[in-house]
Amino acid sequence: MILTLLDRLNRRRAWLRWGLLAAGLLVAFGLPWTLYPPVATDIVCWGLFAVAFDLLLGHAGLLSFGHAAFWGTSAYGTGLIAIHSGVPFYVAVLGGTAAAAMLALPIGYLAVRRSGIYFAMITLAFAQMVYFVTNQWRDVTGGENGLQGIPRTLPGFDLSNSFVFYYAALPVVLLGLLAAWRIVHSPFGRVLAAARENPARVRALGYPADHYKLVIFVISAFLAGLAGGLYAVNHGFASLQEVYWTTSGKVAMMTILGGIGTLWGSLVGAAAIVRLEDWLATAGFEATGLVTGVIFIAVVLIFRRGIWGTITHLLRARAVAPVPQIEPHLEHDHDELQPTPTN
Amino acid sequence: MGIAAAAVGALLAGCGGGPGAGGGKVSNAKIVLGVLTDLSGLYADITGPNAVAAVEMAVEDFKRKYGDKAITDNIEVIKADHQNKPEVASTQARQMYDRQQVDALFDVPTSSAALAVATIAQQSKRLYFNTAAATTELAGKSCNKYTYEWAYDAYMLANGTAANVTRQGGKNWYLVYPDYAFGQDMQAKFATAVEAAGGKVVAKDPTPFPSDDFATFLLKAPGLTPKPDVLGALQAGGDLANLVKQYDQFKLRDKGINLAIGLLFDSDIKAIGAAKLAGTTFTTAWFWNLDDEARAWADRFKKRTGQRPTFDHAADYSAATHYLEAVQKAGTDKAEDVSKQLDGMTFSDFFARNATVRPNDHRVVHDAYLVKVKAPAAASEPEDFTELVEKIPADQAFDQPSPACRMG
Amino acid sequence: MTSFLQQAFNGLVSGSFYALLALGLAVIFGMLRVVNFAHGAIYTLGAFGAVWLADSAGLGFWWALLLVPVALAIAGTLAERLLIHRLLALDPLYNFLLTFGIALVCQDLLRMRYGSHSQPYEHAPVTGSFDLGLFEFPRYQVFTLGLSVVVCLAVWLLLTRTRIGTIVRAAIERPELTRAFGIDTGRWVTPVFGFGVGLAALAGVLAAPMRAVNSGMGADLIITVFAVVVIGGLGSVFGSVVAGFTIGMLAALGNLYFPVLSQTSVYLLMAVVLLIRPAGLFGKEEHV
Repeated sequence: MILTLLDRLNRRRAWLRWGLLAAGLLVAFGLPWTLYPPVATDIVCWGLFAVAFDLLLGHAGLLSFGHAAFWGTSAYGTGLIAIHSGVPFYVAVLGGTAAAAMLALPIGYLAVRRSGIYFAMITLAFAQMVYFVTNQWRDVTGGENGLQGIPRTLPGFDLSNSFVFYYAALPVVLLGLLAAWRIVHSPFGRVLAAARENPARVRALGYPADHYKLVIFVISAFLAGLAGGLYAVNHGFASLQEVYWTTSGKVAMMTILGGIGTLWGSLVGAAAIVRLEDWLATAGFEATGLVTGVIFIAVVLIFRRGIWGTITHLLRARAVAPVPQIEPHLEHDHDELQPTPTN
Repeated sequence: MGIAAAAVGALLAGCGGGPGAGGGKVSNAKIVLGVLTDLSGLYADITGPNAVAAVEMAVEDFKRKYGDKAITDNIEVIKADHQNKPEVASTQARQMYDRQQVDALFDVPTSSAALAVATIAQQSKRLYFNTAAATTELAGKSCNKYTYEWAYDAYMLANGTAANVTRQGGKNWYLVYPDYAFGQDMQAKFATAVEAAGGKVVAKDPTPFPSDDFATFLLKAPGLTPKPDVLGALQAGGDLANLVKQYDQFKLRDKGINLAIGLLFDSDIKAIGAAKLAGTTFTTAWFWNLDDEARAWADRFKKRTGQRPTFDHAADYSAATHYLEAVQKAGTDKAEDVSKQLDGMTFSDFFARNATVRPNDHRVVHDAYLVKVKAPAAASEPEDFTELVEKIPADQAFDQPSPACRMG
Repeated sequence: MTSFLQQAFNGLVSGSFYALLALGLAVIFGMLRVVNFAHGAIYTLGAFGAVWLADSAGLGFWWALLLVPVALAIAGTLAERLLIHRLLALDPLYNFLLTFGIALVCQDLLRMRYGSHSQPYEHAPVTGSFDLGLFEFPRYQVFTLGLSVVVCLAVWLLLTRTRIGTIVRAAIERPELTRAFGIDTGRWVTPVFGFGVGLAALAGVLAAPMRAVNSGMGADLIITVFAVVVIGGLGSVFGSVVAGFTIGMLAALGNLYFPVLSQTSVYLLMAVVLLIRPAGLFGKEEHV
């Protein structure tokens, strides 16, 4: 009796997973048919960026308020490679991404020495340093004029059409998302989650917690770089906005709105924020900061599960009572960050 | 609207729009002017909602002038806020050209945003009239045949002030410039102009940006040898306000060091206080109290908006008017044909005097003005900030066409 | 030599602002474990408070110096009770994000009311300059430095010489021990937050006569102050003040001698400190 119930649940779980995956892919491939294609590309870039951010916040408990540094470094790196070498844009994006990951190494090395709120402040400060360097190094970066004229090169394809470019960029984003998903569900991901919950015990078990944190920091920066590089190619330029702290704030908001630790929620958050910004530009209501700030406050105070977290929570609440968890694989069971012990 | 229709619409938009099936002489049976500007941020006072008003005025005046002889009476003005973010500007510009059938964009403050929009104008084969961004790159390395520079640039600002102040006796200069591309650009042009006029740059220092504290440089100034006659401040906005406040506290004017400013808007004068700035010289593309013709337009503008126009507002009106006239003359709103009407055109209006649209780099050259800030007591009304020192003729006000500009 | 002293002195003046802001940040952090991202916005509100008092009520600088910090401290205690307090039991990151949201809202409300441009403020209480022997210096700048040193000392005395101060300091520096002794520190949480807010507001009022007053004035400053408190040691009241003055001085000298590094020097210094003493120069190692 119990066995048949479990069996049924397992089958149902598998069915739901495949169903969700199919739905997700359908949305991903259909997006530029319903939305203006450059905006659709923006959404998937920001989505990957937010997932990278959530990998760090939701799964390692590290709030980086300086992720703009990696997104931006890759945007500039990608742009410089694309402009000066004329290689296919995939190669340029990979180069920019490598630069972002390399930058993450020293920053991460210093930042993981402190956790929690210190980590947030330190990453923010280093990102600000990257911003100043980018601004001053105008011979290379173009300073506040931005790095203009980044080409969309891919032999055999005319990517000047944004609709086509979306489908050229999508595989890269999907690969990035797949990587994030694999990491979360790997043994490495589980150690990280454990290290977040109880760092002392993980250390006692012989896992070098700082080492693990650094690795996930660099991976997160790598994925952020992937997204930033694509974004720069999509827009045809990279600007100081990419490395400014408001960009770090924006990605944090996407993840929090989508649901911390839910991974896919970040995609929903990114879509919502990009659409909101697009709408605010023409709505005649010129208070972007006010709207963003109020969303921040409201989500943190009363909606901490975020959109995705709330939906899965409701689904779970409606599920069969005797088995508390039906979809353990669809979400991480951390709707909220646990209060950490203060000693 | 059904899903299929939405998909087809998106596909059409995705494929670059193209002339609609509307028939007639203008595409989509209408002319759409887009104002892409900063409606909420740093430049909202100088450009912003009033830039939209200026373009709307131009459209109304055009309709009134031609009545039913106008090429079409269906002329729209739409606006969007780019929040000074180049990414938002580029997405909005693309959408405006592609989906809202905008034929010409106007304004676009912030150099990075303007450069991004110029690229999109070229890709979309539609026109863009820059009135708000100061970078010389728009008519230089990044020039293209769909983009026009209607109002001013860094060269005009720097050259006018540096050359004239030097000629009037300010021989020794200490230049402080913000450490970013515009500051660097201005500094180079300032130094060249000072030396060409027989002056000398004693020292020049980059200042951090943004910065709350300019004391380091203000303290250094009196100790330089030879002692500078003029402090050339090339900062803008909040940094400029900071610098002038501290210039005042360190009493440099009493020590014989005068202030010359690279880029000064009416809003800056309001922020810093005309009393602190009285006598400071700077160059402008236009100011509303220039003469009767300018005042007449400024009065109409004030009646409509409640405020006096900045040079950017005047330039938007001027550019929109000449754009519509060119469409009328060309008999079509096809960008290449309109452009043919504009290139090489000479004109004089209340904004641009003795103006020529240079065909080789699309820079509109016109008279510029060396002005100084009025003491508050001499002002005729609260928004009367400047008085003319001398006119800089069109052929001297702007740089020669840049060899870096190659229009394809 | 004169110019060196001149610049060093000038650096202390700009360090006054770092010190006042870092002090408020450290006190709040110590008591609540909250890093107040809105600290820069409060500094901005302080400066606008002075402008508003002068414009609407004709009250000059001294009134502003008295009223604005008190008013904002009261507003701060309200914000603490209504918003921040709800999240104190959770991970401190939530309050960091909450105060980030509050900062965005404050900044944008100011922008909607006043625009992005700077506001004039013509009410410096003292003008002219002092002859300091080797060089002359504007009186207002000297006044700013003097006042902030006095305030920092007063806070120090308050924390070390009064009973209330001792309790608060114990809660800040030895939270577990204090609780173990059965001292209820909870009732001090809200007043301490208000006090920290008042210090930031005071810095804002002081800034109004010598700096550009606009809605963005605190946004970039707060990030520098974060670096200052990381260098000084976030849990250390003393460390944040010393780091504030030191970094002000280093930045001023950097402007003169190494202009290329003038903006990045603070962050480079932070990197070095993190390498050598991760807890900050005066901080104690703790696991937060």
